[in-house]
Formats: sequence, structure tokens, C-alpha cells
Amino acid sequence: MHTDIELLARHWSNERNAPHILPAQHDLLAAILDHLRRQSDAVQLLRGDPSLSDDEHLRITLVQLDIERVKFIVRSYVRTRLYKIEKYARYITANADIQTRLTAAEREHASRHADLTDRHFNYSVLQSLPEPQRHLDDETPYYMPPMMSSPDVTRPVFVHALEDCPPVVLPDGTRHEMLKGHISLTHYSVVEHLVARGEAELV
Amino acid sequence: MALPNSLRTSTTPPELELIATQQLIEIIPLVSMEKTVFISGAYGPLRPPNKAQVPLWIAVNLKMKRKCHIVPPSWFTVDYLQDRLSLETSNPAFSELPFRYMEISKILLDVASDDLEQPDKLRSLLKDLREARQAKSREGLKQLDHSELSVYSPPLPVIVSTTDALVQLPNLSAMEINEIRPYFVESMSILSKLALPPQPGV
Repeated sequence: MHTDIELLARHWSNERNAPHILPAQHDLLAAILDHLRRQSDAVQLLRGDPSLSDDEHLRITLVQLDIERVKFIVRSYVRTRLYKIEKYARYITANADIQTRLTAAEREHASRHADLTDRHFNYSVLQSLPEPQRHLDDETPYYMPPMMSSPDVTRPVFVHALEDCPPVVLPDGTRHEMLKGHISLTHYSVVEHLVARGEAELV
Repeated sequence: MALPNSLRTSTTPPELELIATQQLIEIIPLVSMEKTVFISGAYGPLRPPNKAQVPLWIAVNLKMKRKCHIVPPSWFTVDYLQDRLSLETSNPAFSELPFRYMEISKILLDVASDDLEQPDKLRSLLKDLREARQAKSREGLKQLDHSELSVYSPPLPVIVSTTDALVQLPNLSAMEINEIRPYFVESMSILSKLALPPQPGV
């Protein structure tokens, strides 16, 4: 059994190490934010009490320290997602199945960010180019590298199996056993489904 | 900027330390405290002189206020580490150590060296272990460099690589992984790009 914070710390580590954006943990995050709010309110209330003993003070400092630690992880997690969303904004708006991994607020941010950068590119450069070169999409395969940056799912990651996993298939077709506790370095695409199911974590 | 440049490719050591301080450790408290519910779980009550299990971050905070003694984990003794070091130097494989041993040992040496037996000896053993293991990681990178890699027969290999698309790293710790990450990830990306069949028309 894992506490919410341990789960969040794992999602944080996965998100930081995965090249792709991972499914949003909406319920988990909402529960933790709610808990943070309640805990902060309780601390506020207690701090106003002048009759507190030294021992009580010690408890309150520990609770505050706990709050700050959790806030740090929440912030770093959200910012990591934000970074990927802004980097791949156009890719996200073009792929409906990726959008299901995002919260409503994140989707909104992605499409606004994509719009703004599109408009900026148009005003600053594209409108002065010859007509065939004005596009930002890759439908016309003339240009290398691609106009739209997309996550590199072949990037190698360090993966730690949390349980005995079904064999993974490597890009060259060979199958490989990943037993509990094993740590391997392999392409993200090879273990993506294990991370999504929580059978493995990225370290 | 959503995520500073330095955080984009790797985790930082202080962040690994933050994760490591979630782990439980035994303390002998010098103050009493009622059971307290934190977001990360409920801990306590503390009743001196009874031992109690608390997360490392609570232990460190209390220790810095001189309100507890920390009981070092069973692997953090001169005897145990001496034993690991002789295995480490006589054996090509990485010896078995806790996944976050580097973070935890550093924290304990920093804040609780008076609760440890022979802290200087511990420090030098950890340094020797680290150097022996670092040398093996570097050796491993050399293996990654070949395009044909085969599985070594026992005794356990340092780094097993069945093909150039998967490398196994038995008993490597969190901090060591973080240290080799940039080189290993970059080398493997380049190797797999080289292994791709040439694309027509490029």
C-alpha cells in the first residue's frame, strides 16, 4: 500500500524522465491539494493560539516542513508537465489521443500556446516567404527537419521493474524478461506500457 | 520558464535527497510528541527512551535541534561496508547495496556523525566503494560502445547487454544512475541512430 505522496513522487520521477507527456493524475493531485489546504488551515489556526507549549511548537514546525516538502513536489511535477506542453503544443493540438492525457486546463493552455506561437511565426517570418513555404504543418514533406517538434519516444530511459513484468519486445524483435527489481536502460517506447500500468517506474 | 534548463535532462542530487528522506529510519527521541498526522502519513507517538520509526526528514529535523539520536541502518556499519568493499574489488559485478545508500549515508554523516561509530572510517569506506563502482560504470560505457554485445557468463557481469537496445544494470543505485545518465542516454541514442537502416531518398 502506498501513500498519496509516494505515488505522486513516483509520477513526478516518471514525468521528469519520460520523453513523452504522461497521463494527468487528476484525482491524485486534487486529493493532495485538498489535503494541503486543510493542513495549512489547521496550522494557521494553531499558530494564532498564544498558549501553545514548546512541544506543540515542535509539532507545528514539523507539519509546516511536511507541507513545504509536498508543495515542492507538486510544483515541480506541474512545471515539468507545463514544460512539455509548451514544447509540444502544436503536436498536442494535432493529436486527439494525446489530448486525453491532459487536464482541461492543460488542453486549454496547449491550444492557446500553439495559437500564439503560430501567429508570432506568421507575423515575423512566414508571411514574407513564398507561398509554398509558409506552412507550419508537415503535410508537404519537403523540409527536413520536421516543422512540428514531437516527443522522441526512442530516447533511452532507465527503467526499474516494480514487479515481474511480461516480456518486452525490443526494436530488433528480440524478447526480454524484466523481473522485479531489475534496472535496465532501454528505449522509452519499449517500456512505455509498463510505466503506464504502474508495473515499472523510470529512475 | 516552466522548467529551468538544468532540470530538463536529469534529476538533481538535492531532488534525489528529497525522495530518499521519505524513507523510514529508527530514532531514539529525547522529547515526547503525540502521534501527528502529516500529509505523508501519521507518525509517533514519541516517548523517550523508546525507539520510534519516523521518516528520515523528521529524524534530521529533530537531530538538528538535538532532540533525538538516529539509529544507523544495519548496512551503515564499518563491518558491513568493509565486507561490501572486498566484494566490490574482488568481483566484476556491482555489490548489493540499498538503492538510495549514497543519499542516506551522506545525510547521516552530515547531521548525525556523533551517532555513528567511526564516522571517518565510514566516510573513507564509502569513498573507496564509490571509486570502485565508478570505475565499473566507466568500463560499462566501453561495452555499450560496441555494436555487438553479448551476455557474459557467470560470475555476474557488470553490465549485461543483450543487444544494443537494452542494457541491464544490476545493483546500481539511484545516485549512480543519475551520474551516468547523460553519457549512457546520449551514447545509446547515437548507437541506435547508426543502427537504423538507411532511408531512401535522404
